[in-house]
Amino acid sequence: MDKFERLLNLAAALLNASHPLSANELRERMAGAYATDKTAFRRMFERDKADLRAIGVPIEVSTLYRLDPPVEGYRIPSGQYAGRDLRFEPDELAVLHLATNLVRLEGGAGAGLARLGGAAPSGGSTEPVEAVGELPFHDSLSKLVAAAIGRRAVSFAYRDTERQVEPWRLSFHRGHWYLVGWDVDQSTERMFRVDRIDGEVTERGPAVNPVGQGPDPRTLKPWEFGTGEPVEARVLVDADQAGWACHRAGVDGERRPDGSVVITLQVRDTAALRSFVVEFLEHAEVLEPQWLRDEFVAWLEALA
Amino acid sequence: MTSAAAANGAKLSVTERMARLLGVVPWVVKQGGAHLDDIAARFDYPREQLLEDLTQRLFFVGVHPFTPDTLIDVHISDGIVDIQYADWFSQPMRLTSEEATRLLAAGRTVLDMAQGRGSQPGDHESGADPLVRALTKLSLSLGSEGASAVDRIDVCLGQAPAETLDDLRRAIDLRRQIEIEYYSQGRDQMTSRAVDPARLLSHDGAWYLFGWCHRAGAERVFRVDRIGALTVTDSVAQVDLPVGPAPSLSVDSVDRSATIRLAPPAAWAADYYPVRQRTYHADGTVDAVFAVAGESWLARLLVQLGPRGEMIDSHTDIDPDLRAATAARMLERYRR
Repeated sequence: MDKFERLLNLAAALLNASHPLSANELRERMAGAYATDKTAFRRMFERDKADLRAIGVPIEVSTLYRLDPPVEGYRIPSGQYAGRDLRFEPDELAVLHLATNLVRLEGGAGAGLARLGGAAPSGGSTEPVEAVGELPFHDSLSKLVAAAIGRRAVSFAYRDTERQVEPWRLSFHRGHWYLVGWDVDQSTERMFRVDRIDGEVTERGPAVNPVGQGPDPRTLKPWEFGTGEPVEARVLVDADQAGWACHRAGVDGERRPDGSVVITLQVRDTAALRSFVVEFLEHAEVLEPQWLRDEFVAWLEALA
Repeated sequence: MTSAAAANGAKLSVTERMARLLGVVPWVVKQGGAHLDDIAARFDYPREQLLEDLTQRLFFVGVHPFTPDTLIDVHISDGIVDIQYADWFSQPMRLTSEEATRLLAAGRTVLDMAQGRGSQPGDHESGADPLVRALTKLSLSLGSEGASAVDRIDVCLGQAPAETLDDLRRAIDLRRQIEIEYYSQGRDQMTSRAVDPARLLSHDGAWYLFGWCHRAGAERVFRVDRIGALTVTDSVAQVDLPVGPAPSLSVDSVDRSATIRLAPPAAWAADYYPVRQRTYHADGTVDAVFAVAGESWLARLLVQLGPRGEMIDSHTDIDPDLRAATAARMLERYRR
């Protein structure tokens, strides 16, 4: 019997079982599917279980005290197998199908749509839809999304520190996934880069703190990060790059007759502001305050 | 299903076939029979493989004691597949959290794009939008108690102004030539170009326009957020670019490089920018070999890093005193 047929039969036997079955009982019930050699059987059986779990089949494990000595028993509870009956409508499946064609996820779209009953090719056309975007995908993402939606706390290692976090939101911005949530140990709102999380994300029970807004990576302005009172800085950007500068800074600015623009920024981190101004090379100038202008000049003089 | 295995003839693995077949069986049972071609298209299941799996595998599946009434019955005639006695597989399997998240991420992205293009916000509240309904159901499968997942995940494909994107999409659809003022960051130059736009694509969270540049006489890629003025002309686009995989945006297409020794507080730069090679030293410094697409980009990075980054090696085309020369040029306007 080939592997695929054996996996199907194993899944059927586990789903059909009214009570948990031991590995030996399963072998007997699956007439000839497995090797008679005990070690070879065990190896195949473990691999098959792992393969079924990998595609999401929930195999429940319990201890069979009716056998002497007690051994592990297995079954697939049909309620858990099917989960909640979500009843996706055909138009819902069609838009999801279109979405997975428009947005290419790293590692593919997965077998999710097949699970839900598949989707008829959109508009009856077999013409491939051109993707409009690509998104990276990380293993930890699904656990974090599930935690944010199901209001669970999680823990993970981040920059060599173990963090306890109640996830609020996952945001993809400028090429990176960000986790925004409540840092339980620091008692503060925080943002984490998902790709910087080391290793596994572990679930830690229900979230208890209220969901807040948190920092928004969409309007991330590095010079606004920091503590203390912000300083109001004015930066002049030449006409050629005025539009782009206003867009980057998220402000309108005051236009001058020559097309250049003066933008006003609230600065808590002067090093981050310096990096922003350097982006424009000789096409921008720190105007005020004077001490910030002097600092910028001193930085350049040390390099020139 | 986006993997389009059926289209490119790729072989499915045993677990991929298993995942599909566990979706096929309940669907066919519920339909009371379905055509092979429909199943193949719907489940992205190569037709020959599907036929083999139904007749050579599923047909022999059953449970103890394997009497006829405990075996699945698969009947195929004139291409119509009928499946009976598949009681244990008659319900679709639940989504795993990864599968639900993948669908949610793709769906959420498209919802954002649709909202950016002037759809009515009321559509979402009334539940009339099938995408919003689908996302709500996906969040239920991820453990929500009724609240929608729509505000738990958001995706920004790029920060370009909505009207620029709309104009570009319109120009592509109508096959119109465009005129753009484009700021090339690599060269630090503003240029005017006539472009036959072919395709918009988001990569790494930024929008790119692929098209034929008449100024360069070649295919070019433009970052949409660096397009200044944009005019959609009445001229018809002259050059057709082949439809296919997006042109490469990878660092391999750049042939110059520069090695910068980064002090520990500046080591982030080795993660942030395209780097070909990193060498870590015991004192925490990192030597990173950066792919250099344009000298201006490198000049900016060196001035930003300041004393925390020293260029220790570079391509022969690159001025070894680039940092000093750039800083001196920048200082001029403070001395006027």
